[in-house]
Amino acid sequence: MATQRNQNSSFITEPQLREEFAHHQPLVARINNGSFGSCPASIIAAQRRWQLKFLQQPDDFFVNHLQSRILHSRTLIKHLINADDVDEVSIVDNATTAAAIVLQHVGWAFAEGRFQKGDAVVMLHCAFQAVKKSIEAYVTRAGGSVVVVHLPFPLSSTEEIVVAFRKGLARGKANGSKVRLAIIDHITSMPCVVIPVRELVRICREEGVDQVFVDAAHAIGSVHVDVKDIVADFYVSNLHKWFFCPPSVAFLHCQKSPVMPDLHHPVVSHEYGNGLAIESAWIGTRDYSSQLVVPEVLDFIDRFEGGIEGIRKRNHGAVVQMAEMLAKAWGTNLGSPPDMCPSMAMVGLPASLGISSDADASKLRTHLRDHFGVEVPLHYQAPKENEIEAENGDRDSLITGYARISHQVYNTVDDYRKFRDAINQLVQDMIKVLQRMGCRPINKTHKGQNHEGGVKIDSSKAVGKDFGAWPVFLLARLLPERVTGVVTLGVPYSPPSPNT
Amino acid sequence: MFLSRSLHEPLSATTSSSLSSMASHHHQNGDSTVTTTHSPPSKKLKPTPITPSELLAEFSHHQPSTARINNGSFGSCPASIISAQRNYQLQYLEQPDDFYFNRLKPSILKTRSIIKDLINADHVDEISVVDNATTAAAIVLQHITWSFFESKFDKGDTAVMLHYAYGAVKKSVQAYVTRAGGEVIEVKLPFPLKSNDEIITEFKKALEKGKSNGRKIRLAVIDHVTSMPCVVIPVKELVKICRDEGVDRIFVDAAHAIGCTEVDMQDIGADFYTSNLHKWFFCPPSVAFLYCRKTDKVADLHHPVVSHEYGNGLAVESAWIGTRDYSAQLVLPEVMDFLSRFEGGIDGIRKRNHERVVEMGEMLAEAWGTHLGSPPEMCASLAMVGMPACLGISSDSDALKLRTHLRECFGVEVPIYYRAPNDGEFNPITGYARISHQVYNTTEDYYKFRDAVNKLVNDAFTCTLLSD
Repeated sequence: MATQRNQNSSFITEPQLREEFAHHQPLVARINNGSFGSCPASIIAAQRRWQLKFLQQPDDFFVNHLQSRILHSRTLIKHLINADDVDEVSIVDNATTAAAIVLQHVGWAFAEGRFQKGDAVVMLHCAFQAVKKSIEAYVTRAGGSVVVVHLPFPLSSTEEIVVAFRKGLARGKANGSKVRLAIIDHITSMPCVVIPVRELVRICREEGVDQVFVDAAHAIGSVHVDVKDIVADFYVSNLHKWFFCPPSVAFLHCQKSPVMPDLHHPVVSHEYGNGLAIESAWIGTRDYSSQLVVPEVLDFIDRFEGGIEGIRKRNHGAVVQMAEMLAKAWGTNLGSPPDMCPSMAMVGLPASLGISSDADASKLRTHLRDHFGVEVPLHYQAPKENEIEAENGDRDSLITGYARISHQVYNTVDDYRKFRDAINQLVQDMIKVLQRMGCRPINKTHKGQNHEGGVKIDSSKAVGKDFGAWPVFLLARLLPERVTGVVTLGVPYSPPSPNT
Repeated sequence: MFLSRSLHEPLSATTSSSLSSMASHHHQNGDSTVTTTHSPPSKKLKPTPITPSELLAEFSHHQPSTARINNGSFGSCPASIISAQRNYQLQYLEQPDDFYFNRLKPSILKTRSIIKDLINADHVDEISVVDNATTAAAIVLQHITWSFFESKFDKGDTAVMLHYAYGAVKKSVQAYVTRAGGEVIEVKLPFPLKSNDEIITEFKKALEKGKSNGRKIRLAVIDHVTSMPCVVIPVKELVKICRDEGVDRIFVDAAHAIGCTEVDMQDIGADFYTSNLHKWFFCPPSVAFLYCRKTDKVADLHHPVVSHEYGNGLAVESAWIGTRDYSAQLVLPEVMDFLSRFEGGIDGIRKRNHERVVEMGEMLAEAWGTHLGSPPEMCASLAMVGMPACLGISSDSDALKLRTHLRECFGVEVPIYYRAPNDGEFNPITGYARISHQVYNTTEDYYKFRDAVNKLVNDAFTCTLLSD
């Protein structure tokens, strides 16, 4: 397998690129690479060759090929992330597994008395839900306490994160707890922003935090990853999200330290005690093929100008451009400045959609998938009191929903136009609904920008079908004096969230 | 021919263009509109009995130059099941969000329901699907750890397991029980064996030891079919003895069992029972079930890889442990179709496997002047056959080297077990081959093995000749 960079200039052509992703459902505007990633056809083919090799003669595969191929993958990853020693690099299924490894280690420390009851683990408020559950399962259950650091959103600068983190950490230590572990996202999932991890790790060290675990599920292939620069104790990233590997494979980098021998894969097998990397390379009979195609993936990446750096820069440029296009079309804004966006961006959704809970965001997402063929995750952001005041108590102008759009090499401008048009259609549909209730269209201003699409109602019965039911319920609750009755078709009544 | 899907393609070659053509086939069939059904779009044909040539084709991806008499280690998977699996993999790759939200959970639930019926469990809640028995062991044993730490157990309380327990399980017991303060008692079993009584006697002795000094036996780990050396353990009797002796919980490690012996949860009566479906049940690597009996005593079991579903019950937790390829867990309906093409279904298959492996075992023993390691009724679809003493297998290392030699020089794949001789044994048999028989095996496989060993004997081969 070639590991040196491709010197010749025959980069992947447009038709070849399309063919590599021809298995993606053509009817869907797939602007959610962030959730499940993507894998080119040539890598799937390579994976199948490994699967076949196992099926042909599994004993021979196990004895003669598997371990050396995993070691090869680990070595390539080591170079990618600028680690010192291949011993520091373990391959696991996903970031969720890595979190279990690190947190189980913390659980043992509590149980074996190295940590005291009440010692703390710090996490971000927007940490990935699976990681929060893992903290509950291994830390809280073992007697540890959890300090939650809230980060603001929307954001205007990384400074806001640094300030919030310092405050949150200090507050957590205020009662004298020892902070045993800080879990920091490199790129938060929802809402999605790039966190200044290097600085936050430094703050942790200054504040005497024992160990730092960076959950960088999205990072590799999407931002620059240099473990010697970030200097966390543990760093995990998924290779199937932005690094073109098949589902699923991730690396967990562990800084060499005295605690290293005590890190174990929770699925214990023959190699227990031989070091985490060796343990993780055999956790019973299963399909390890996705872990073996790293060499083929590097070859694939070489076919792009600038390699992975080129890919991620172009992704970033394109996603910001598309986000700004959407924000302009909808009269909204981005959730963070472009330099805090990786290959994803948070774009505000029109306030008139009336997203007032996580459930609303989820339902709208489903509606977009089922009726518009757009796949994009949505985030509900509860407005703060000062935001409501700033709009003169007019909640209807506040942006409470953000779409997390992704850009990967297979995306085209049409994907985002499809999304733009879908949302515009929904807003127009709502205006029509409300107009028929006896509304008069007005020009509303939102943050100083004139934007058509606001409505003012006298009073009327409101009828809502499917997704249209939600704004109708909201309307009835917010302005009961204007709504004389509600008819709902297809969706049972449920009150809007109390946060509204 | 088979129950083929429109996406069936020969296993031998996959190119990137074939992937996209498979995808376009998919779209032409209108799959994008399929919502909640798990099964790929294809007419359900009435199963036709499988013919010898079809059977050959189903396993034509097996390396033809190898006498593959080791189904026990890694199992095997027919081509039509691999094809079904690829169908699911493709569905995911096409639109992973839709797959995750609309198809994955119902598919896994369907798998669990099929397993529940297969093993005569009471309720589908009792069935969790996990990667393999190794994972199931970690789940059960991690629960024991918490019980020690949360002071439900006392330091020094015991866990009993067989000396022949699988190596990975022994490590797991060390990692989760010994480390947490439990003491482990191993049941020494003789080998070769003559009858179940030998096992029962030793087991009772171990339980006595486990209860000595006022300790409580918190867990018994009992193999249904031991790995090396391979014998069928009388689990039903041992479970009853455990209940009589007040053992808290009983975990049966039945990695080999399903498709190889009878598996009936009501009959066996254990608290936890795990078996791999990729060994003898034709599933792709890898998938296993962990059965957890519903009782009044709430057993707080969790999957160690904690994700969104934590706290919603082990079965639901196990159905989502982060982004990964769950396709091996989804093909059980297709496997049931495959089995229905054999006379007597899975019961017919395992009975014929058992008869054949005993027949082949006896053929080899006679050819070599040795014997079987246990009576036929203690063999499942595997048998331990003594190897000629003159081969000089005198350590685990020798056994492994001989195995490698057989693979590389004779094209025979078979694991070999070293058995330390007892004092005073004359010309002891110290090596036993664990031969398997699965539907793809032929008599020629065993003749090849017979002849290889005969050649070694005739050439005055001994293990000392093998380099490290």
